[in-house]
Amino acid sequence: MVFYLIGLGLGNPEDVTVKGLKAIKSADRVYLEAYTSILTCGKSALEEFYGRSIILADRDMVEQNSNELLRDAKKQNVVFLVVGDPFGATTHSDLVLRALEQEIPYKVIHNASIMNAVGCCGLQLYNFGETVSIVFWTDTWKPSSFCDKINENLKRGMHTLCLLDIKVKEQSIENLMRGKKVYEPPRYMTSNLACQQLLEVVEDKQSESENSVLTKETMCVSLACVGSDEQKIVAAPLNQLVNCELGPVLHSLIITGTLHPLEYDFLKICTVLYNESHSNTAKAR
Amino acid sequence: MVNFTIDQIREIMDKKTNIRNMSVIAHVDPGKSTLTDSLVSKAGIMAGSKAGEARFTDTRKDEQDRCITIKSTAISMYYELSDKDMQWVEGKKEGNGFLINLIDSPGHVDFSSEVTAALRVTDGALVVVDCVSGVCVQTETVLRQAISERIRPIVFMNKMDRALLELQLEKEDLYQTFQRIVESVNVIVATYAVEDGPMGNIMIDPQKGTVGFGSGLHGWAFSLKQFAEMYSEKFKVPLPKLMNRLWGDNYFNPSTKKWAKSKSPESDRGFNTFVLTPIYKVFDAIMNNKTEEIGKLMEKCNVKLKGDDKDKVEKQLLKAFMRTWLPAGDTLLQMITIHLPSPVVAQKYRSELLYEGPADDEVATAIINCDKGPLMMYVSKMVPTSDKGRFFAFGRVFAGTVVTYLKTNRKEPGTLIYICICFMFRTILMMGRYTEAIEDVPCGNICGLVGVDNFLVKTGTLTTSDQAHNMKQMKFSVSPVVRVAVEAKNPSDLPKLVEGLKRLAKSDPMVLCHIEESGEHIVAGAGELHLEICLKDLEEDHAQIPIKKSDPVVSYRETVNEASDRMCLSKSPNKHNRLFMTAQPLPEGLSEKIDEGKDIFPRQDAKLRGRYLADNFDFDVNEARKIWCFGPEGTGANLLIDCTKAVQYLNEIKDSVVAGFQWASKEGVLCEENMRGIRFNIHDVTLHADAIHRGGGQIIPTARRVLYACQLTAGPRLLEPMYLVQIQCPEQAIGGIYGVLNRRRGQVNQTAHNPGTPILTVNAYLPVNESFGFTADLRSNTGGQAFPQCVFDHWQVFNGDPLDEGSKPFAVVSATRKRKGLNETVPLLEKFYDKL
Repeated sequence: MVFYLIGLGLGNPEDVTVKGLKAIKSADRVYLEAYTSILTCGKSALEEFYGRSIILADRDMVEQNSNELLRDAKKQNVVFLVVGDPFGATTHSDLVLRALEQEIPYKVIHNASIMNAVGCCGLQLYNFGETVSIVFWTDTWKPSSFCDKINENLKRGMHTLCLLDIKVKEQSIENLMRGKKVYEPPRYMTSNLACQQLLEVVEDKQSESENSVLTKETMCVSLACVGSDEQKIVAAPLNQLVNCELGPVLHSLIITGTLHPLEYDFLKICTVLYNESHSNTAKAR
Repeated sequence: MVNFTIDQIREIMDKKTNIRNMSVIAHVDPGKSTLTDSLVSKAGIMAGSKAGEARFTDTRKDEQDRCITIKSTAISMYYELSDKDMQWVEGKKEGNGFLINLIDSPGHVDFSSEVTAALRVTDGALVVVDCVSGVCVQTETVLRQAISERIRPIVFMNKMDRALLELQLEKEDLYQTFQRIVESVNVIVATYAVEDGPMGNIMIDPQKGTVGFGSGLHGWAFSLKQFAEMYSEKFKVPLPKLMNRLWGDNYFNPSTKKWAKSKSPESDRGFNTFVLTPIYKVFDAIMNNKTEEIGKLMEKCNVKLKGDDKDKVEKQLLKAFMRTWLPAGDTLLQMITIHLPSPVVAQKYRSELLYEGPADDEVATAIINCDKGPLMMYVSKMVPTSDKGRFFAFGRVFAGTVVTYLKTNRKEPGTLIYICICFMFRTILMMGRYTEAIEDVPCGNICGLVGVDNFLVKTGTLTTSDQAHNMKQMKFSVSPVVRVAVEAKNPSDLPKLVEGLKRLAKSDPMVLCHIEESGEHIVAGAGELHLEICLKDLEEDHAQIPIKKSDPVVSYRETVNEASDRMCLSKSPNKHNRLFMTAQPLPEGLSEKIDEGKDIFPRQDAKLRGRYLADNFDFDVNEARKIWCFGPEGTGANLLIDCTKAVQYLNEIKDSVVAGFQWASKEGVLCEENMRGIRFNIHDVTLHADAIHRGGGQIIPTARRVLYACQLTAGPRLLEPMYLVQIQCPEQAIGGIYGVLNRRRGQVNQTAHNPGTPILTVNAYLPVNESFGFTADLRSNTGGQAFPQCVFDHWQVFNGDPLDEGSKPFAVVSATRKRKGLNETVPLLEKFYDKL
């Protein structure tokens, strides 16, 4: 039959499309991918709304045990639910390839993703450059390649959408080595931490006298719980945004490039400017 | 009883130029401990007449029973040099009193970690050589260790009584024997030391007085200086000149009283005429009961025997005579004070080898000058106290002063982070069997500490400075290749066993105790004897419970014998990252160089290392500069090399790949033994565009998988540890030796006559795995005449394909996997190798 990849939208159970809902109701098995993003409403709310049970699929299952996922998909309808869009921030293209290998037909039902929902802050999607992820740093592992990409985008006057790291069901390196399935508590990066890491890179680059287009004063926008009722958007220069608490996760961060007057006005009207006196900085650009 | 007081010692401790820290090192059984007795008796700690029998430094009961030293033991002694001899002492000095901190070390190779620990805290070494058996393998090993730690050697040729009484050597033969030993020692020195190195010339030379002769058992010894002193007044020749004449090709013609460079019929070698002749005369007279002659000799030699000694005959009289004439204690203490360096001199050139930090920081300066400053103390071993479960931390103060109740930082070996602050409760002096409390100990001295044992596992640095770096960890010449599994006979004793194992690990610098995945408690030691002693200690002292032990097993290494037959690829779990790698064997000899850690080591400048590898091992310079790391543990003899061209963001996954490499090289694919001698090349890497999809969780397991695939495609092989066995025996026993060696897969390397003796020396290689019970087997096959000495020598390829069912290595791999609780068959390549 068909292997469905269905986007669930931004978090509310009712965000699912009508077409998606029909597919879910017709399915024999429903999986929910639960490691690249979190559902603000929780699994039980979904089950109640759809009126059927859902199987949670963690990273191990999706990445290493896809045969189980695709089992009997030739005869049955299998649904794979993804928060956001199946081909949005999380790329499940590999899963599709594996389905095709087994000659299982597939259908994708799209939905909104953070990749397009960021439009809510007034920045035009056309003006976004490459999307980057900001990962949790450890004592020894501090990748800064995202900063290079941000700089590339800035040079061309483009905004950068930064997705912030989510660690769900991750093993510590020691446990990974010992093969123990002991998982660390889930962690979600806040925009504060992301700003802090960015500032560190900026300072490093300055001390190494590399010119970084990204500076402490670059205008940035933090978004929290996009698409939900608690949605919160704050715009401020990087070095001030670092101190701004947005409340509950998930957060995203946008580094703005050249602002179109309309974008600027939108930011000014629709978002809370963190500190009014600093709106001049934005105007000056 | 003791002829010096603690106050006297404390006073001299501040006169750093008058301190001598030295260890006694040698092969097993040439009489180190016996000789040490002579020194101890001189210091008045034990009765002079007992010297040579009591073996004061063998403090343990089993040491006394077996007549071998197991643990090194330290003694502090006080010696006053006469004014006349003071002029011989080079450099600065303060007064005639000298403090000698002596460490008697074990000679058996299984305990050579004790020697390493002893050498670390001393500046000079008295190398004892049995003049009958000559320079043995272990002599060479300890001498090499000493030189690489920059420790100045002097040599003592022991057991002269045997040469005279048992072998009845002629004078010229005896001279030749001595000369050969001097030469072989100097060959070793020349091999391992740079001639104009920081220590200057450290060749030994009888003419300079750095070589002593005598008998520890009988308690007499001399260097050429003693004899030169006797004659210099008579001949009116200055001492140094006369000493030169008493060695080498200097011939004296008694009729003309002239010296010549070549031998003529009437003349005889100076050494023979003036040194050996009187000794031979004494031996001859006494052993043949020539009473008249004895009287004459006594007068001539200015020997006055007291009380009981007069009535003795033969050997006993000989002993008393020689001991009074040429007292060993004085001769040796003179040699030590005159020729060995003080801490002030030694720390100047040793500092760079000892301290990991920059050579110009506060701490390094204090060490170089051996001066006040932040405390730097290296604890080289733990000594069990009479208080069960507690230990003295034994070590050397390199800078600053240790004071009772001092607050110090402890440095974790290998890191720069100081972990905790500990208090020292008591500072003590080690006096062989006794300890003496002392208020404080200034730099340059050796002492023990009470109260820090809970903070240090085995060894470590103690300091009062936050800024200080660590002292370098000691490098042992042997590795713990033999292991047994232990368990408590009574399962309810398990907590005691665990506690006991912890104490055992603390009390011995070498032994390793750990728990296998299967739950077995493993004790690993350098050899059969070492393990036997460790387990005895565990059973009797540390755990005090009956234990069961498995048969000993050896550890193996995994390697490859050809280049990978294909490019190996593994994909990360999310399939977005791909690693392309191959494996190949390291060039011959490189693994050993890495073990040595002298010419090539992990923290080396990449350019220097690249140059060295390119020049000596035909590496491509560019590749050699891009060695990511060594492994396992960051120091092992496997290399991970970046051979990629322009891969973006490769650096961001470097840590993860390195972690995967450390993991894989520690637990090879065959049976989870360490890898050795493998070079892994990273050829290409495909990465996901975004950092979040190429984190450790994705890359580390992938790196490990691709490394295993590389190993499996490159002709995996097992390496087994080999001993170099040296066996000394009479000629007629040789047949039995060959028989035993053959049965045990041994390969005879060389068989040589000890010149001048009926004794043969056989050198052979023997797999460690076959060495269990070897000594007993050998003795029973040669009527107890052959004595083997096994030293770990190298790793040798175990012939046969370990993947081929039915081969010997296959059996070993299966057995090892079974023991470790793994699936008995080696996993298939498909598990690690992904298709493109």
